[in-house]
Amino acid sequence: MKNAIKIIASLFLLFVFTASVVNAQKWQAPVLSKKKQNPYEASTRNISSGKKIYNINCKSCHGDATMGNMLPLQPVAPSDLGSQAFLIQTDGEIYYKVNKGNGAMPTFEKTLSDEDKWMVITYLRSFDQNKKESKKIVEVKNPEVTDVKLLLDINNENKRILANLTGVTAKGDRVALQGIELSVKVKRNFGYLDISGDDAYTNEKGEVNVQFPEDLPGDREGHVNLLVKVTDDAYYGEVIVDRIASLGIPTNPVNPLDERAMWGTRANAPIWIIFSYVGGVICIWGVIFLVLFQLIQLPKLAKNKE
Amino acid sequence: MKEETSNNSRRKFLKSVGITVGAAGVVSGFSLLGAAKAAAQEPGETVNLLTQDGQLVQVDKNQLRPTVTGPLTELQKRGREGIAGKSFVMVIDLSKCRNARKCMAACQNHHQLRPDQHHINVLQMQDAEHTAPYFMPKPCQHCDNPPCTKVCPVDATFKRQDGIVLIDNERCIGCRFCIAACPYSARIFQWTEPKDAEKYKNLTYNIEANVPQKKGTVSKCLFSADRLRENKLPSCVSSCPNGVYYFGDQNEDAVTNGTTHETVRFSQLIKENAGYTLMPELGTKPRVYYLPPKNRAFEFNGDLLNEENLH
Repeated sequence: MKNAIKIIASLFLLFVFTASVVNAQKWQAPVLSKKKQNPYEASTRNISSGKKIYNINCKSCHGDATMGNMLPLQPVAPSDLGSQAFLIQTDGEIYYKVNKGNGAMPTFEKTLSDEDKWMVITYLRSFDQNKKESKKIVEVKNPEVTDVKLLLDINNENKRILANLTGVTAKGDRVALQGIELSVKVKRNFGYLDISGDDAYTNEKGEVNVQFPEDLPGDREGHVNLLVKVTDDAYYGEVIVDRIASLGIPTNPVNPLDERAMWGTRANAPIWIIFSYVGGVICIWGVIFLVLFQLIQLPKLAKNKE
Repeated sequence: MKEETSNNSRRKFLKSVGITVGAAGVVSGFSLLGAAKAAAQEPGETVNLLTQDGQLVQVDKNQLRPTVTGPLTELQKRGREGIAGKSFVMVIDLSKCRNARKCMAACQNHHQLRPDQHHINVLQMQDAEHTAPYFMPKPCQHCDNPPCTKVCPVDATFKRQDGIVLIDNERCIGCRFCIAACPYSARIFQWTEPKDAEKYKNLTYNIEANVPQKKGTVSKCLFSADRLRENKLPSCVSSCPNGVYYFGDQNEDAVTNGTTHETVRFSQLIKENAGYTLMPELGTKPRVYYLPPKNRAFEFNGDLLNEENLH
């Protein structure tokens, strides 16, 4: 009985000890860094741009915030950055960890600007149910609308794309929707190139004006596949417009096989190589045949001499 | 008199040898042609042939074709032509590589390679005594002026219209001239029976993936040409956990990151980050661009097979 108590006691001690060791290995930010405040307000714009940055730089490992679909890495899986257990940390703590990195987590000290990092933190904080740190500020209040329409007006002359977002109110009026972010994208082989720029929010007329890059190549006729959508599906569901526009630079793809080159296979070899090679072969065989011919002639010559 | 006869016999001997050798050459040259023509004329006749694995089989003569001009399989034909209108480029951001080696694993899986065979290899680099060491993934550079295709004696390795350099293992005779010619050491030789040779022996040869691998032939990175046909990124690019690789079409001036799936302008990416190519002084014009290991996302810890790095 005494022995059993001893064993249990030692096991308990061991357990406490290991637990403390594990705790000591937990990633802690220094006390000073915890006090750092997020200088940016939790506006819809900041949250939206934070989400963009999150999707590019964090999502591949951490998954979608609150969804728990992170990469199952060993020995420590990345945490769900939208979970309440994570958001218990102060903004300063998160900022410190994003900057420094730990183990498989890279440092973003130089790869992301300070503003970008704070935007991401603003975005993550929008999942905080306690919302101690900041409150979501909505600058513009759009009326409840149905039948949301996105119209495109493309000016080929100066390569500008004008998108107009409207909806129908309960009274039946079609009104402009203000302060909604739009994404203007160009289809490329393996993905969409975002050309919307930093400030693609609809104005009071519901319009966004985007300059198409001057030097972006299109196909042979200069056609490009344009895709304009409301960035956040949470507002009005999926609002997408797909359009083929001739805004790109007409590009004729160069086929490297069109010209004869040293690296080409037999069919594409330079003419001078073909000539000199064939000439060489003919010369060598010619000499051999000449020698053979002379050999055949030898007995005849001998007879004539006799 | 005696002298004369000996002279005569030497002449006769030389004459006969000369005629025999010459005739043999001409006859053997024409006999292949003749055989092929004869085969076309006489239907229904069968011949006994010895297969590669030592089995005697009877084949209809009409089925026989000379090897050189024979019809290539559809896969080989389109594999030689490439994808029209494309010009593929890869950008490798060295500041993000931490030697996770996921690219190598995905590549070996795709191309049926053993762990010691590399189409892409992550190297530990140090350019000079006092410079900072870094990790550098090194695939085939798919040069626009490839030294390897110049030396192939049998047209087995070639460049396609989309810029990719491939090998036809059905043609390769294993002379390894191309391995010697490549300044980037991008090519490997299958010295032994390849991995899972028994398992894949009935698989149709796919020239755009070099599978199944063939003993006694050369193999190398193909930019996963079979995946590009389906508009998928190469295996190494999409398997990288750290956003090292960008891949895209230079004609569209856009490259897509395999990890974040962010699409950026190729020219801007190279310009803003001072992108460079390997050994430009050789004039090989590589299609793989590197971004210098500046502002690293990970500390270099110097150990190529460090456990901590391998994720």
